[in-house]
Amino acid sequence: MGLLSSILLAPFTGPWSGTMWTLDKVQRTVEEQLSDDTPIKEDLMNLQLALEMGDVDDEEYVRREAEIMQRLREVREWREKLGKGNAGGPVRVARQDDSE
Amino acid sequence: MTEQSIPFGADASDAVDAGGKYVYCIIRHDRLRDFGNVGIGGGRRVYTVHHEDLAAVVSDTPIVIYDPTRENVLAHEFVNETVMREFTVIPMSFGTVFRSEDDVSELLRSTYRAFTDVLEKMQDKIEFGLKVLWDREKVVTKIEQENDEIRRLKDEITRNAASSTYFARMQLGRLVEGAMEEAGNRYVSDIHEALKSVAVASRSNKVIGDRMIANSAFLVDRSREREFDEVVREISRKYEDVLTFKYTGPWPPYNFVNIKLKLEKAN
Repeated sequence: MGLLSSILLAPFTGPWSGTMWTLDKVQRTVEEQLSDDTPIKEDLMNLQLALEMGDVDDEEYVRREAEIMQRLREVREWREKLGKGNAGGPVRVARQDDSE
Repeated sequence: MTEQSIPFGADASDAVDAGGKYVYCIIRHDRLRDFGNVGIGGGRRVYTVHHEDLAAVVSDTPIVIYDPTRENVLAHEFVNETVMREFTVIPMSFGTVFRSEDDVSELLRSTYRAFTDVLEKMQDKIEFGLKVLWDREKVVTKIEQENDEIRRLKDEITRNAASSTYFARMQLGRLVEGAMEEAGNRYVSDIHEALKSVAVASRSNKVIGDRMIANSAFLVDRSREREFDEVVREISRKYEDVLTFKYTGPWPPYNFVNIKLKLEKAN
């Protein structure tokens, strides 16, 4: 947003702040969507259910699972880039002096 | 910090081990125990890491994020099922990887009280899952047979197909929707009521897809497992014309253990 804000802010303030807020909000929404794995996990659960119910066969399951894993991995990369944590992966126990 | 992901289809054993430990569950045991080569990432050795009388069931792993593929999830489940045959377990969620054995011991040490309390509460308890799905068309047919108002309105609309108003159809739709919701709630509460008497506790999870009306977990005492089975069978017979039951287990008590671990990303 660096370039954009310098264009938008000079030489005005005031009415522009509304636009700034909107852009900021758009960016945040985009970031949230890129880094949200909830719908992907729901798709995975749906797929598992479909397999259990015999609605998809093994071959189709494997193919769709691969797609879902790819999407999960993309979301993980985005979370990484945006500085959000990923579930899973290495953890360590917080030492007692870390606790509040 | 970037984590290494395992490419789809690749095996965790392709990556270099850096002393990481995949943790499956916590049990009470004070001696080293080997559960065989059944671990995640291509049949790794599953063994225990100890602190006093607590043990974490682990296998060696590279420091990676495991994809929740069926293969990986089944490997996680298989280990827990194996351990459960002999021990009361506190299951860890899928994909928990610690950097080192020391970090695992630290987990046991710092959470000793909570683990011990929960192990006591979960002593000889197992979990069963019950998903209930309905066949919308069959439920509608049943409702039409049983609900006089709906049947009358439907007959009227069919008889006067040409002249029947949009509003009459709307009203029918609304009545059917309402009756469906009521029927769904009645089925679910009837099922829960029947199972409550043979379970220690129950939990309702979010339903998956549009055919599911209940996605429940039940905590059952091992000594009442057969009884619980029997009641599930009875209730599924009672509703076999409209409902499909997906009954799974025994599971470790995933839905009934809620220890918030103070974990943070390892650097």
